[in-house]
Amino acid sequence: MESNIKENGDVLKIGKYIFKSRLLIGTGKYPDFQTMKDAADVSGAEIITVAVRRIDFNAKENLLSYIDLDKYILLPNTAGCYTAEDAVNTLRLARELEVFRTDLVKLEVIGDPKTLYPDNEELLKAAKILVKEGFTVMPYMMDDPVLAKKLEDIGCPVVMPLASPIGSGLGIRNPYNIKIIKETVSVPVIVDAGVGTASDACKTMELGVDGILINTAIAGAVNPVNMAAAMKNAVEAGRLAYLSGRIPMKLYAQASTQMEGIVF
Amino acid sequence: MKIELNGNEYVAGNGITVQNLIDELRLNIKSTAVAVNKTIVPKSSYAVFALNENDKIDMVTIAPGG
Repeated sequence: MESNIKENGDVLKIGKYIFKSRLLIGTGKYPDFQTMKDAADVSGAEIITVAVRRIDFNAKENLLSYIDLDKYILLPNTAGCYTAEDAVNTLRLARELEVFRTDLVKLEVIGDPKTLYPDNEELLKAAKILVKEGFTVMPYMMDDPVLAKKLEDIGCPVVMPLASPIGSGLGIRNPYNIKIIKETVSVPVIVDAGVGTASDACKTMELGVDGILINTAIAGAVNPVNMAAAMKNAVEAGRLAYLSGRIPMKLYAQASTQMEGIVF
Repeated sequence: MKIELNGNEYVAGNGITVQNLIDELRLNIKSTAVAVNKTIVPKSSYAVFALNENDKIDMVTIAPGG
């Protein structure tokens, strides 16, 4: 399956960067760092998201020692930021960390603690500043086609609408909006947040989106490493099914076997 | 002198630089970023950026996140 995709040159382009994997994963909420590492390895992901936080001087181990920087591109996020100013400053600070080898950043500006829905106004404001400062901005956004177009217009080389609230596992709640977003913008669309299990990931990819970012559905599974493998397969299967062009749905049966030459 | 380091009081030598503090704490410079009084200190200034009494220092690194 993977080899066919590669042969067809089907790659994910985000700005000047090219990726073979369409699955991006987060590093949060794993039972331990080793499980995170094992899950990342089997997921085939090339981009993994991390937060930027104060150093815990008493910590016994650190996340970095479990991440192979030659293998993965680390994507700093702005989780927990509620204003454009805080998000921008977080990423300016992240820029000083040499572990981030690219200018790719995941921008999220939260508007409400209960739903973790983004604040559209602050998101646009922050995205404008960051694009001007040379960051390759990957914005986590509502599943709103109008907003997606605005983010594209100000220079985001990708948009990342949610499928449903972060960590909810509700799957894709508004597939029609995701399809409209895909038709509205010419930049890639990565669905970020809400996927619950492999079928959600597969169905999402079948809509024609360019990738999925998953954290909780893998990290919170009873067996995160196996779930990471399931998500990898689901994303690849969904992508290949989309590229292959599904049959139209019909109300009545259509025999698969020819009637010519039948004896009885 | 007393400074505030990641929200906690810390006693540092007078005139200590950001670089001195990083060395003292044995931090990996590649995975450490620093802000003093909420202003980001560029890596190129660590060796010359002297800290003052009551400065609020934030030292950050990567952490798990989605």
